Amino acid sequence: MMTDLSIPTAPRKRRYWGNVWDAVKSTAIGMGITFKYLWSKSVTVQYPDEKLPTDERYRGIHYLEEDLCICCDACAKACPIDCIEMEATRHGKELEWHKFTLDYQKCMFCELCVYPCPKDCIHMGKEYALVVEDRGQLVMDLLSWKGLTEDQKVRIAEAEAKKAAKAAAQAAAQAAAKGGGAKMDAGGGGGGGGGGDSAAGASDAAETEPTH
Amino acid sequence: MLTDPVTAAAPAPPQGNLWTDLMHGVFPDGMPWWMVAVLGAAVAFAAVMLFVTVIAMFSIWLERKVAGHIQVRLGPMRVGGWHGWAQSVADGVKLLLKEDVVVTGADRLLFKLAPALVLGTALAMFVALPFAPGLQIADVDLGVFFLISISSITTIGVIMAGWGSNNKWSVYGAMREAAQVASYEIPLGLSLMPPVIYYGSLSLRTATDMQAGWLGLHWYVFDPLHFWIAIPSFVLFFVAALAETKRAPFDLAESESELVAGFHTEYSGIRFSFFFLEEYAAMFVMSAVGAALWFGGWNFPGVTQMPEGALRDFLCVVVFTVKSMLLVFVMMWVRWTLPRIRIDQVMTLGYKYLTPLSLILVFAAAVLEYFLALAPSVLP
Ligand code: SF4
Ligand code: SF4
Repeated sequence: MMTDLSIPTAPRKRRYWGNVWDAVKSTAIGMGITFKYLWSKSVTVQYPDEKLPTDERYRGIHYLEEDLCICCDACAKACPIDCIEMEATRHGKELEWHKFTLDYQKCMFCELCVYPCPKDCIHMGKEYALVVEDRGQLVMDLLSWKGLTEDQKVRIAEAEAKKAAKAAAQAAAQAAAKGGGAKMDAGGGGGGGGGGDSAAGASDAAETEPTH
Repeated sequence: MLTDPVTAAAPAPPQGNLWTDLMHGVFPDGMPWWMVAVLGAAVAFAAVMLFVTVIAMFSIWLERKVAGHIQVRLGPMRVGGWHGWAQSVADGVKLLLKEDVVVTGADRLLFKLAPALVLGTALAMFVALPFAPGLQIADVDLGVFFLISISSITTIGVIMAGWGSNNKWSVYGAMREAAQVASYEIPLGLSLMPPVIYYGSLSLRTATDMQAGWLGLHWYVFDPLHFWIAIPSFVLFFVAALAETKRAPFDLAESESELVAGFHTEYSGIRFSFFFLEEYAAMFVMSAVGAALWFGGWNFPGVTQMPEGALRDFLCVVVFTVKSMLLVFVMMWVRWTLPRIRIDQVMTLGYKYLTPLSLILVFAAAVLEYFLALAPSVLP
């Protein structure tokens, strides 16, 4: 049953008992409405325990697919306020991560860093609760691990070994081409030493200079 | 137990002071009377203080729950586990631990005295409340009058707080409070007259005893000859009591949207908590007066007929407290329904509506009582 709650448009004549009646009636109606609401189900959620579902396209805290990322700096360059900083050492194809930080003091969650990524490995997450105890903690490291994993190390070692073997083979071939048969013994020793040298040289050449 | 309110004379007041009698029973016989009086007062104070604190804490929690649910929220949910029941305890502890600030330029004496005066009067009001046949600190003959006069002393405390705070908002709040209480004293007092005329006594004890008929349901509001006066007079009393206790929609003295917090703007810590306690204590007292005069006090079917004793007293206290808390709940319900009204509207309502209407009711009650006294044979 709907009650007519509209306000009369024409100014009403001032009536004493009419005013009393209006006051009682409108209070009664109002209290009826609030009483109904008193028993209605609450629309709020108990935040840390329950959360409202975030939107499909919500732009929250980033997450990084670290194993895909190639440390190409494209996202950092795209960021209009330079929040992203990264640092990694390249060992041939493998990356030894030092940091990949996002400064949430500055980030405005514009998503511009996401589009240029060639590997499609940085995304906007759904997490929005950024509670830290210190401002410095807002510079967050998106890396879940740093340095090298075991299989990376194995792969690097394999690659180095392959490289060393190649260099040794090359050096041996060179030595064979340069020197005569008379210096075979010394050439063999020199070849071994040369192999060691060139292995060190190869790991130097594998770009220890950090990129950011 | 008298059942006929009109033909029978009011029951004789109990001999001596109930509380003193009780205390004489508790303390050893050889004690001098003054020691009993002092110790009895201390025990009474402790009991009242405990009761007020518990009631106020419960009311504050209830208020927040009612406010929440009326606004389709939940209110406090975390502290203590079940629906945040310990929220008030946590708040109380927090208030006690807060720094007690006295602002520069404050009138230190008034500033420090005001909360004590306000809380003291609120506690004093509990003295006259008839909780149970064996549990009433003092059966004041002028019970109703005593309560009204004590409750308006609170206003003096409020004015002291406002004036002593050296803050314009506080002064505004205090002045509003003064104007409001001064104008609502009249309808409050007048709206209490119909029941007083009906009972022929100002004592709350007498009033309660006279509503014991009909298995404990012969309350003033249910009386077939008087309900048409009882109900409107209760409404008037309730409105005036809202104004007297500074409750919404009459909370102009602390209207937070205009005056920060009104008269207690400058208070913090335990002094602030005194004002808070007083507000809820005063709500309870006003509701208790309403319950005692209109809704039968401790009378309830089943409880009234029980043999006298500690169990009956306990159940009486429960019934009385529950009735009062229901009225407190209505006060909260009103608060979350009606918007705060302007000071001129407060004055209009007080002087142009409540006062004449309550006068009419007093007149009607007096005339009715006169004719009923003339024709006792017509009575049911
Ligand atoms: S969301 Fe925008 S501001 Fe934040 S890191 Fe990415 S590009 Fe920079
Ligand atoms: S653009 Fe993509 S691949 Fe390049 S550094 Fe950023 S996250 Fe890594």
